[in-house]
Amino acid sequence: MRLISKWFLLILSTYLIQNLLILIGINTNLSFLLIYFFIIEYYFPKDKQRNIAPSDIYPLMFFILIGFMDDLLQGIWGPAIISKSISGFLLINLTNQLFFNWTEQFKGTVIFIFTLLDEIIYSGIIIYFFNISIEPLILFKQIIIGALFNIPLGLVISWGRP
Amino acid sequence: MIKKLSLLLLLIIVLLSLSLINYQSKGDLSFPKLNTNNFFSPIIHTKNIIKDFFNLKEENEKLKRQLIEIILQQKSYSALIEENKRLKELLGLKERTKNIITIANVISKGSNKFIKTIWIDKGSNHGIKKDYPVITHNGLIGKVISVNANNSEVILITDPNFSVAVRIDRTRVEGILSGKGNNCVLKYIPLEEEVLTGDRIVTSGLDEIFPEGLLVGAVKSIDKKKGLFQVIEVIPLQPENKIEEVAVIKKE
Repeated sequence: MRLISKWFLLILSTYLIQNLLILIGINTNLSFLLIYFFIIEYYFPKDKQRNIAPSDIYPLMFFILIGFMDDLLQGIWGPAIISKSISGFLLINLTNQLFFNWTEQFKGTVIFIFTLLDEIIYSGIIIYFFNISIEPLILFKQIIIGALFNIPLGLVISWGRP
Repeated sequence: MIKKLSLLLLLIIVLLSLSLINYQSKGDLSFPKLNTNNFFSPIIHTKNIIKDFFNLKEENEKLKRQLIEIILQQKSYSALIEENKRLKELLGLKERTKNIITIANVISKGSNKFIKTIWIDKGSNHGIKKDYPVITHNGLIGKVISVNANNSEVILITDPNFSVAVRIDRTRVEGILSGKGNNCVLKYIPLEEEVLTGDRIVTSGLDEIFPEGLLVGAVKSIDKKKGLFQVIEVIPLQPENKIEEVAVIKKE
């Protein structure tokens, strides 16, 4: 119950901050940080010994939930579910294969690349299926800023782990 | 090592989502957009109060000055309006009225990732419907793209997904105006047509969405070097960061 309330509050506050940032004109992808944080918490728990082969089903369910929340706010169901599931799934596989200590530089690069991947998949689906026109420069800026914005925040939430 | 079960689950999720997206893109299926404005309204309200507090004195002086100017202008215009009416009657033209549905306040910027939008505080309860044009005293600013009971989302004319049939006021040449991020671009004006910087662009009414004669913008630059048509950049007369009150009018 405590765990559920913790995640509920975390998700709520993330979307609150994300929407507040949109109000002042900054488009961010903070919801990807929820996925990153979930993976860190799930695969590298603080207080317990690391599970040798944890199930990937719970994280996948969580990615679908986060993707669904994103889609609900955008009014189109599906694109964020796909982008969040794929980028999260690939991040799980990277996590499972890398047992050594993650340096801050490595974590920063991981956050940047996977946020970028999430944004690219999402934008690609929207542009391909809905024929939405967007200036390439604006799209590029939006994707890069979202990914760069996540680096410091991601480093803070995963400080000293794994 | 990738587990087969999770890979299969991912594949199912992707396929299901893709079919859902496909139906939505064809318009067979649509889902409501979760509007967070109600949730954030206390924050927006506080922000507006603080902003208003600092702007009140300045705005009061500005309004007084404007009022005097308007009274003076009105006196000179009334004679011109009468003359215009008489001339129109002579020509057999009908006097058009722009049917204002409601006046609304801008409550926030849109939350859409790819489309430049704003939210206004009036919705279907106030008679607003999808595709209704939205104007300010400076001219056209966009059209309604989604309507809830008490608020609506408006796409701005600077968004690349927005287009409107227009004409150059001075020469009456018709074209299509589309958004281009920060400004707009006027398309399909042949190379031989004379266009000058500062020319006013008004709606032509040919798209059957926007009424004829709404002011849209002014020509900023002209490039005749590329292709069959001129590349004309247009600045909207209403800066999008200064939109506070808008009027929603009926579709043509």
